[in-house]
Amino acid sequence: MTSGVLLGYCGAVLVGLGLFGLVTNPEILRKILAFNVLGNGVFLLFGVIARRGAAAGLGADPVPQALVITGIVVAFSATAMAVGLLVRLNKVSGQTIMTSDDPTNSGK
Amino acid sequence: MNAEMLLVLTLALPLVTLAGCLSRQFRRHVAVLLVVAPLPALATACLLADGSTVVLPPALLGLTLVLDRPGAMLLGAAALLWITAGAYAGRRFRGNPDGARFAVWWLMTLTGNLGAFLAADMVGFYLFFTLASLAAYGLVVFDGSPEAKRAAAIYVGLAVFGEALLLMAFVLMATATPDSSLLIGDAVASFATSPWRDYAMAFLILAFGLKIGLFPFHVWMPLTYSAAPIPAAAVLSGSAVKVGVIGLIRFLPFEIPMHNWGEVLVIAGLFSTFYGVAIGITQANPKTVLAYSSVSQMGLLAAVLGMGLSAGEKSAALVAAFSATFHVLVKGGLFLAIGVATPTKRGVWLVFVPAVVLALGLGGLPLTGGALAKLASKPFMGQGIVGVLATLSAIGSTLLMLHFLRRMWSSTTQSEARASLLPWLATALAAIVLPWILYSVVRDEPLRDATLPKEIWEALWPVLLGSLASLALWRWGRLLPRLPAGDVIAADKGLVRLADASGAAMEKIDRYLREWPVATALLVGLATLLSVSASLGR
Amino acid sequence: MVPDAIVLSDATTADGYLLVLAIIFPVIGILLTLAFGGRYVERIALVLLLAGLVVAIAIFAAVLRDDQSLVYIVGNWKPPLGIALRADGVSAAMMLTIAVIICAIGLYARGEFGQSQATVPTRASYAFWVLLLAIWSGLNAMAVGADLFNLYVALELLTFAAVPLVCLKGYEETIKAALRYMLFALLGSVLYLLGIALIYGAYGTLDIALLSDRVRPEPIAWIAAALMTAGLLAKTALFPLHLWLPPAHAGAPPPGSAVLSALVVKGSFILIVRLWFDAMPGLLSFAAAQLLAALGAGAILFGSVLALRQARLKLLIAYSTIAQIGYLFFIFPLASGDSASTPWSSIAWTGGWLQLFSHAFAKAAMFMAAGLIAEAVGHDQIADLRGIGRALPVTIFAFGLAGLSLMGVPPSGGFVAKWMLLSATVMEGQWWWAVVMLVGGLLAGGYVFMVLGKALSSTTPPVLRVSIPRHSEVLVLAVALCAVLLGLVPLQPSEFLTIGRPDIHTTALQ
Repeated sequence: MTSGVLLGYCGAVLVGLGLFGLVTNPEILRKILAFNVLGNGVFLLFGVIARRGAAAGLGADPVPQALVITGIVVAFSATAMAVGLLVRLNKVSGQTIMTSDDPTNSGK
Repeated sequence: MNAEMLLVLTLALPLVTLAGCLSRQFRRHVAVLLVVAPLPALATACLLADGSTVVLPPALLGLTLVLDRPGAMLLGAAALLWITAGAYAGRRFRGNPDGARFAVWWLMTLTGNLGAFLAADMVGFYLFFTLASLAAYGLVVFDGSPEAKRAAAIYVGLAVFGEALLLMAFVLMATATPDSSLLIGDAVASFATSPWRDYAMAFLILAFGLKIGLFPFHVWMPLTYSAAPIPAAAVLSGSAVKVGVIGLIRFLPFEIPMHNWGEVLVIAGLFSTFYGVAIGITQANPKTVLAYSSVSQMGLLAAVLGMGLSAGEKSAALVAAFSATFHVLVKGGLFLAIGVATPTKRGVWLVFVPAVVLALGLGGLPLTGGALAKLASKPFMGQGIVGVLATLSAIGSTLLMLHFLRRMWSSTTQSEARASLLPWLATALAAIVLPWILYSVVRDEPLRDATLPKEIWEALWPVLLGSLASLALWRWGRLLPRLPAGDVIAADKGLVRLADASGAAMEKIDRYLREWPVATALLVGLATLLSVSASLGR
Repeated sequence: MVPDAIVLSDATTADGYLLVLAIIFPVIGILLTLAFGGRYVERIALVLLLAGLVVAIAIFAAVLRDDQSLVYIVGNWKPPLGIALRADGVSAAMMLTIAVIICAIGLYARGEFGQSQATVPTRASYAFWVLLLAIWSGLNAMAVGADLFNLYVALELLTFAAVPLVCLKGYEETIKAALRYMLFALLGSVLYLLGIALIYGAYGTLDIALLSDRVRPEPIAWIAAALMTAGLLAKTALFPLHLWLPPAHAGAPPPGSAVLSALVVKGSFILIVRLWFDAMPGLLSFAAAQLLAALGAGAILFGSVLALRQARLKLLIAYSTIAQIGYLFFIFPLASGDSASTPWSSIAWTGGWLQLFSHAFAKAAMFMAAGLIAEAVGHDQIADLRGIGRALPVTIFAFGLAGLSLMGVPPSGGFVAKWMLLSATVMEGQWWWAVVMLVGGLLAGGYVFMVLGKALSSTTPPVLRVSIPRHSEVLVLAVALCAVLLGLVPLQPSEFLTIGRPDIHTTALQ
């Protein structure tokens, strides 16, 4: 099994773990972490694709690397915003769990 | 002023008046506005030649307006009724700040009503049909009482249902025309070759049947006409309902005899005719009795159209229009009569006596428009069972109308202060005179034929029998069950509960679906499902 | 039959720079705001809104005049190495709609978030204007993107700008709604990104035009398309993935709700259409199309019934959005059927897009009207809105016009769209969608009349807490009238919406 295939499987496992965490964990911070795990799994897949698409002389295809960099930036800003919202929520209500909403109550 | 401008003005003046209601100055003269707005329509009906057409520019939706003979008859009678009822309403609402609000709904319904008689393309017809139906909501709910709200809710629910059916029918017809023309003439001609012919016919008959109150879609009529103020009830029962009639006249393919659908119309129509009488005689409110009379009369009209459709006779349309024209004025007039009836001597001579003539005219009293209409429709009804039933229906109509007159006499408390007699008298006069003027348009026979003793007897004996039956009703009427207005719809409590329960169930399902684990799991599941379905290929 | 691939334009067309301006102007606005501190944020925003509107009109005019799409090759590096921006007929119409609505919302928002003089704005005001500009930039980028990853970035920009708009008011429930929106949308983004990874791995390119040539119906393509679609459906809030929409749209401030419901959810929808019709033509199987439309039908039924049961006006309008989004998905089975030679020459294509545009105008008008009502009486409980028609006649009239478009009553864009979609169901023989559409219209009539009936009831009007300036009401009416004006579109497949698509000149339009 080449390193590419192994890493591909790792990426798939990460995606699975991230999805599972995102779906089942009631704590919001854990959901954010699970999202990060999920994102990292996808980036790992990109890395595998870069390796596979390497042309003669180059170590890896540059396009997926560019995609990964962009993706990391996006994931980072997303995490920052989500954490910011979570901190605010905690400050306003002391909650950190995602409850099912009762829309008749939302806002005014 | 040429024909095109007059046709445009027919619809433009009510709209301009409607816009004018925004200004306070205008609002003070509401009474005058209501009378003036339908005047161009009257001029159009009387002056323009058959076949006058105008095509509006694309900025105004590119609608086509055309004046044909049935349309002209109905337009003229409707315009007359709207003018007299408008005078009544203006007087009633004089000095009342609510008058402007009433005028807004009134003028919208008027525009829709007149436009439907003139529309020659399907989008235009649908536009005016919808406008007339939805604007009438405001007229019905005007009082704000619980009965009015219930009546308006049922009315608008059924109206929107009818519009959905009508839209589907129009789409089916438009898709069948070779170049997707939207003109009614092209669409009707496409019936010959359309693969969706039966579906389109079914939807058309359902939609227009709902509008004219064929059983079992008649349930909104008694509720609506009882709840609306008198002038509104007059125009709604007199003129707005005829939008359904003109629809049937324009859209039924008389050139392609369709035996099955013709039969359906005849059966539904005749059933409604007798059903209306049967339920009407149990009612106490004169407005409700008039509503059931409308059910009955429209049923008979549908039967005439059905016989014409079966036989492939285009002239049945003209006869039906003539019948409907008479009904416009009689029904509208009788509603106005309810408003002015008083037990004084003046009331008796000026209100009850003409009312008797008009009412019995519906039953076919000799020398009235009703008798002329029945005479004109006799060739279509034939000599078989349909013809017999049609003749018998005259007995029922007489019975019902005499019942109405009695109820009107005993509930003169419904009459309104400050109501002027003039609108009523004008309508009654028109109802008596107009059929004689129009008869020569409808039939090729000379007018004299209608006054032959044979014809008079043919018309008279059902009226006599009906009068005898009404005496029996007077004597033993108390034995009849007291049915609620709208009869079948009284079951709506059960329907409402059912609707509420299913709505609550859906709310529960929604609440479940909005749980985070459920939704995210569904998201993943959906991805799987989509990939599987994409793999299934074409 | 696999439809022809999109013809690649080799070079930037004459007016291609307009596409860049459309994306950049709002960004310049944000940068200027940062430079000048918050004091001129409203003024800068309004100036740039106007400039953006001019650009959108110019793009529309250019596409109309040239009868071909505008193309801009960024940095003069051609795909697959570089990225292209492309505005075809659909994009141009979309951008014009976006521009008009955002300008209207900008003017409307001066009431709530306006600054008098050059004072330091409140945090909410400052955030609102910046977010509005960012959303506009994201939407324009979505409309003209011709590269899947570029579209991903635009999608993320849109989401990140939309989420804070939800919790601008700062209440606990709105923050929860924003978090729910954020996390669900992020899940969608990651699935989309995963799809991109698979596509790049299989075909080596992400440019839409090149992909359309290389994609074959094989498992990797199906899985990638499914992942991307699922992710985008999460952002479009199609039933049953609509959990975040009601609290988010109802909790946002009125101008925010308007832009979210009218435009933001449509951004991801455009991407779904581009994916199935442009990037991977021929991949849309009958089953997949029926599945998407079935979800749409579910959205219509559930959304409408739930709207009928709401007690709050803004929640009713939010559920109505869920329902109306369902109509858009009928484009998939009806445009990809057999009666038209290409999907974009079918009447369902025009009908679907027209439904999108008229719903955007109508929903924006409705939320703006609801905002004025809530401001005037201090609450939005429907049961207590009795008689408000007397106090705010123009607003209720605008609400009624918007409602008529939702019901599909002539003359309105909603009616024309409904007629076209119904014609398509007849021509394709898929009559079951017609039933759903008619039932949807009935239910829409139900909830519209529910509100109008209360508003027009004859009791004395409620006392207004705040008097509403006449120009705000007129603005709402103008937006509602745009929905009505769309009813003037002729009932034929539109030629404009096929500009930039292959074979438009050789195929006879129906």
